[in-house]
Amino acid sequence: MKELTRREFLRSLVGGTTRAGFGTGLVYGALELREGRTAPAGARGDLGIVRPPGAQIEVDFLSSCIRCTECADACPAQCIRYFGPEAGALHATPYLQTDQRACTSCLDCGHACPTEALAVLERKEDIAMGTAVVDERLCVSHNGSGVCGACHTACPLRNRAIVQDYRNAPTVNPEHCTGCGLCEEFCIVKDRRAIRVVSGRLLLGPSDEARS
Amino acid sequence: MRLPQVRRLQVVRHCVQLTVLLSLFLIPTIARYQNYVSAREADRVIEKWQGTLAGGVIASVDSVFRALPGGETERAGSMQRNRQRIGRYTHQVRGSVWSADIGPVSLTDPLAAAESVVGSRHFPWVLAVGLVIPVLVTMLLGRVFCSWVCPAGLLFEITDALRGVLRFLEINPRNLRMARGTKYGMLAAGLLLTFVVAAPVLGYIYPPAVLSREIHDFVFATFDRAEHGRFGFWVGGMSWMAVVMLTIVAIELFVSRRWWCRYVCPGGGLYSLLGAARPVRVKLRHESCTDCALCVAACPIGLNPMKNQMGIECDNCGACISSCNDAALGYGLGVHQSASIDSDGTDETLAEDAA
Repeated sequence: MKELTRREFLRSLVGGTTRAGFGTGLVYGALELREGRTAPAGARGDLGIVRPPGAQIEVDFLSSCIRCTECADACPAQCIRYFGPEAGALHATPYLQTDQRACTSCLDCGHACPTEALAVLERKEDIAMGTAVVDERLCVSHNGSGVCGACHTACPLRNRAIVQDYRNAPTVNPEHCTGCGLCEEFCIVKDRRAIRVVSGRLLLGPSDEARS
Repeated sequence: MRLPQVRRLQVVRHCVQLTVLLSLFLIPTIARYQNYVSAREADRVIEKWQGTLAGGVIASVDSVFRALPGGETERAGSMQRNRQRIGRYTHQVRGSVWSADIGPVSLTDPLAAAESVVGSRHFPWVLAVGLVIPVLVTMLLGRVFCSWVCPAGLLFEITDALRGVLRFLEINPRNLRMARGTKYGMLAAGLLLTFVVAAPVLGYIYPPAVLSREIHDFVFATFDRAEHGRFGFWVGGMSWMAVVMLTIVAIELFVSRRWWCRYVCPGGGLYSLLGAARPVRVKLRHESCTDCALCVAACPIGLNPMKNQMGIECDNCGACISSCNDAALGYGLGVHQSASIDSDGTDETLAEDAA
């Protein structure tokens, strides 16, 4: 066996450990195990991305958002999350996972935003994050398996955005619904919510332009 | 006119840098703590998460808040309200070095603002308000963000110190030199790309922004995981940062000393341009100088203070002033100096190679 000089030994040692460390970082990045933090872009399927209140249309939002973290720091409900690098162009932009934690319409994020990516809104009625849609086959009040009314109770615009019918069956009024998602968070049907927020805000899609 | 020499300037500077780095962890932690307080969950969470990282952090933040005046009162029922009242103040401090709000003071990195304006073709008032203080400070003092605030700068200084360890181990790291204009090229190319794709791109590779974001994400992820009953140290949230920072650190360790700050950083380039006509500069007193070149070795940016020509690249960190044994260097006032891109010291005086 060839004898190593001290220099060669140290060099191989340091070289090996740095290579190992660098490789570990890359593997972590590639595996991207962001448990519970982010959903890949479009994970909500055709429901679209729910942006925080006051967000401009998607094209303008992506160009003016500087990907700081001020909106999440300002959010008292801690409902604002960020996409991870696996989301590509959406990396580090804010979104809401409304079935887990919904917006409380405090409007602090608009005041915190250093650019006008999130506009300053004065009234919670001005929020337009999306629209709640009731799945009448899943909703216990609609399908006759029970009497619930949780979404109506949770709604910040009660009797305007959500009105109740026979057996507390909810009906969403899209004109008033802000898409805050409180109804979705508190829906008692847990596997697939019977009321879900649809934003129509697909990345750079035409429906987004139509929304403006 | 010569400004008085500040004693232990480097200690103060490193303390400021450390505070900034620590607050990157603290601000999201306190935001999260306030969320638990306002959800009336703080005490339950502390009890439930006992003995874990997330629980320990929340418990220590809670004990600090209790120790603050007005934090704890005799009546147990008003405890919650007092914590919430303190929270109203901590709520005013948010953001990171990329963009921050401290009470009514709004601060935005000029690079972030430039990208937002170029990308969206729109210059809103809020952005202009946030730019006032950073731009004014840079115009007065130069690239001080790089030397006093940037958390990545602190990490790269540690990397720089590690090069000394490498040399002790007889692994001589190379010191490749590039054109200093590269950073202005990066800035121009990045802004052009931002204009074309209408989305910020430099923010994804600019180390202070990457660090701010990923540390924030890491803290939030730690608590999110704890809420789902998963504890323990978890490094996955720092994935993109791992890629960016490890690349830069590897290059700085083995290929080129302070490679990022000296040659590549687009943000540093923008700060250099903004601070081109700064009045506060490092000045040399020729009669005291003994040509020992200690300052050349100390300069993190790789300039030569002995030429008394500190142009736009100098970040006024004061490392050269602290290294001088003859009190020949100090901060001085004066604008009439060459604003061209600084040249390196000559090969004989660049002390890294001599060491």
